[in-house]
Amino acid sequence: MTRAGEFGEDGGGDDILAAEYVVGALSAEERRAVAARIDGDAEFARLVERWEANLAPMQDGFEPVEPPASVKRRLDERLFDVTAASAGAPAARGGLWHSLAFWRGLAVAAVLAVVVLAAQPYLFEQSEPQTNRLVASLAPRESDVHYFVVYDARTADIGLSHVTGERETGRDFELWVVEGDRPPVSLGVIPAGSTVHLAVDQALRVKIEQGAVFAISLEPQGGSPTGQPTGPVVAAGDLRDI
Amino acid sequence: MTPHDITKLIVRTSLKDRGAFDLLYRHTSAKLFGVCLRVLRDRAEAEEALQEVYVKIWTKADRFAVSDLSPISWLVAIARNHSIDRIRARRAASADLAEAVDVADPRPGPEALALAGSERVRIFQCMETLEKDRADAVRGAYLTGESYADLAERFGVPLNTMRTWLRRSLLKLRDCLEA
Repeated sequence: MTRAGEFGEDGGGDDILAAEYVVGALSAEERRAVAARIDGDAEFARLVERWEANLAPMQDGFEPVEPPASVKRRLDERLFDVTAASAGAPAARGGLWHSLAFWRGLAVAAVLAVVVLAAQPYLFEQSEPQTNRLVASLAPRESDVHYFVVYDARTADIGLSHVTGERETGRDFELWVVEGDRPPVSLGVIPAGSTVHLAVDQALRVKIEQGAVFAISLEPQGGSPTGQPTGPVVAAGDLRDI
Repeated sequence: MTPHDITKLIVRTSLKDRGAFDLLYRHTSAKLFGVCLRVLRDRAEAEEALQEVYVKIWTKADRFAVSDLSPISWLVAIARNHSIDRIRARRAASADLAEAVDVADPRPGPEALALAGSERVRIFQCMETLEKDRADAVRGAYLTGESYADLAERFGVPLNTMRTWLRRSLLKLRDCLEA
């Protein structure tokens, strides 16, 4: 009996072939043939897609398992030709910190994430801030790290209140001020504690008062060895006056 | 992170935004590694497969735009299909088959149970309409990538019988899903 005859007998035809592919029971050879068909036959591809959607709730049966960090490192080497030696170099282009799209997205996310009921956004055209204190909610980004920031212009002090999220053993959180597409400027490693303070120098005061964005990255203990963020952004947000 | 957030990351990845790709990896790699491990049942091979899966995601992220799947389902489908292709390429040792019986978990996970009552559990209700061993065969293929040959051996039936079983089960599922 031919394969076509079997399909005919079952009355399924292409739709059942699509289902067999999605469910995963076909042999290597059959899967190759079906994959080629998906690429060249849009109607058949739609059948496959519908079965993928129908069976997708069964994906809940896959328990997440954290892969070792070495996998991402090898992936980056493979895709971006990043070697371990140059991975942390500030000159590495095209990364998170140099992506305009990232910062645009971040600006949008930050606006949405601000939990403070700010009456008015800070207008940097104003020569003097109307209030002395600016606040920001540094909301988690693919992490559970959440800090609340209060900047006091009068005393040039940043107060950080730890809301959620612990640093991993042997790692530190570092706070950055980011102005547009410029390289981030470090405010230093965030000391452990529920409420901590960081001093701000004059140059940074100007940036902060002109509406720069805050971001927290995960760094090796003691802070970034390069002066630029090397780890992932775990929280970010911008300031609103109160 | 919401499905909408993941969608944005996939779209930005399709624009070759490495930052978005890194975030996407951080947020989704555990789920996809779980898929690779479940199907391949070998840690080193699953790690290799996971890399290949993300290479595919990086190069084919633009295809997500024309998919109706939820973002996480789309990503899992890539990982699952890749892992199944990989396991087909390797000869199934009998030890693997024995292990597969243990690994195939017929119960819906906690997430699935939490969704009870929603439209998403339709497939689980439809699976209930199948005889138990037929439903196990569908799940075995879906979650652990068992082939017709593997399933025939596990259930002790001829290959063609297994094909007929599974196809009939899939037809029944389709009728139930469309009802």
